[in-house]
Amino acid sequence: MLTIWGRATSVNVQKVMWVVGELGLPHTRINAGGPFGGLDTPEFLAMNPHGLVPVIKTDDGLVMWESNAIVRHLAMADPGRHLWPAASPAGPTADMWAEWAQTVVQRTLLGVFVNIVRVPPSKQQPAVIEGHRRELVAALQTAEAQLADRSFLAGESLTIADIVFGSALYRYHELDIARPALPALSAYYGKLCSRPAYAEHVMVDISGMYVKD
Amino acid sequence: MLTVWGRATSSNVQKVMWAVGELGLPHRRHDVGGVHGGLDAPDFAARTPHRLVPVVEWPDGTVMWESNAIVRRLALLDPDRRLWPADAAAGAAADMWAEWAHHALQRPLIALFWAFVRTRPAERDAALIAALHRETVAALRAAEPILAARPFLAGDRFTIADINFGHLLFRYHTMAIERPPLPALAQYYEGLTRRPAYRAHVMVDYSSLVPTP
Repeated sequence: MLTIWGRATSVNVQKVMWVVGELGLPHTRINAGGPFGGLDTPEFLAMNPHGLVPVIKTDDGLVMWESNAIVRHLAMADPGRHLWPAASPAGPTADMWAEWAQTVVQRTLLGVFVNIVRVPPSKQQPAVIEGHRRELVAALQTAEAQLADRSFLAGESLTIADIVFGSALYRYHELDIARPALPALSAYYGKLCSRPAYAEHVMVDISGMYVKD
Repeated sequence: MLTVWGRATSSNVQKVMWAVGELGLPHRRHDVGGVHGGLDAPDFAARTPHRLVPVVEWPDGTVMWESNAIVRRLALLDPDRRLWPADAAAGAAADMWAEWAHHALQRPLIALFWAFVRTRPAERDAALIAALHRETVAALRAAEPILAARPFLAGDRFTIADINFGHLLFRYHTMAIERPPLPALAQYYEGLTRRPAYRAHVMVDYSSLVPTP
């Protein structure tokens, strides 16, 4: 049985849990981080010296941290390679779009999220939020062009690219920000929302996370 | 023969070229980006929607962008898996430390490089530079006990983790910034500078990136 340490509201934990759900892996998740704490105990730091979630431990005792590396590991360990096709060119395409989603989409979304959710209303800086939002929307426009002629970011099936990219979209749609019309992206997000593993592990209510004045 | 598009002074190109050099792969590299331009040339634009280097094309026609994903594919295709061990534990360690180096060190260090080396003295933001320097040093301090305990970042062998981490150390050691004593890191860096592929592809004069006064 796979063990995952990490709170359900962490987007990095959500990536891992979405994979676990898509692959139907038997697992136990232990809440850690945020209000649950537990990241500075000797036992946790022995698993991850950086004191961050998610951390996983496999049946054979392998411990991993860094969500994207965990996602790749689980995808490669799946005999069917459903989420990271072994065959060329689908495999390389999935990995490069996953990398793009992390360095561009997750980074800019985090800028928007942190400055809205983690900053009380009286201290929020609209210009800072708007700067991040513009960068995020520019990235989503690139995705819009990519999604115009395919069902998923890297082709016709769900891959690790969608895990890293799609896990950002719930928050994008939940935050109180201006969203331009991006029809292919909307249709794609609708498809993700109808996946049970996405609904369970990514569409996790963020309303309790807002810092108040 | 592998084809690489990207200027030799780009740190992301350097990751790819260092891996190419370590694996001894026949290749040719086209100078693209920066002073060389060429990001709008049809043969380049047809291969990536993002107008960024590096881009790589394999003999089988597979095209990739995103340096970390390219390095992973180069490592996965190597029959001996010299840079990304096939062993589950060693392979997982290599990938997670590579991911960590990308987020914890590359982000602040490259931002510092832009704010300091690539910005005219009169236009530099001292507070920003100080904050990025602190973040850079914090990441290197986190690596210090790891490197004190083993020869390479992810274990006993040189891996993709060292590519993602080590390619940044030439810039760190050649920028006119304060460097706290970190003996294990210094010894590790000295070891890298004795690798022919590191000398050829990472220890590249970047004075052409410094803006004219």
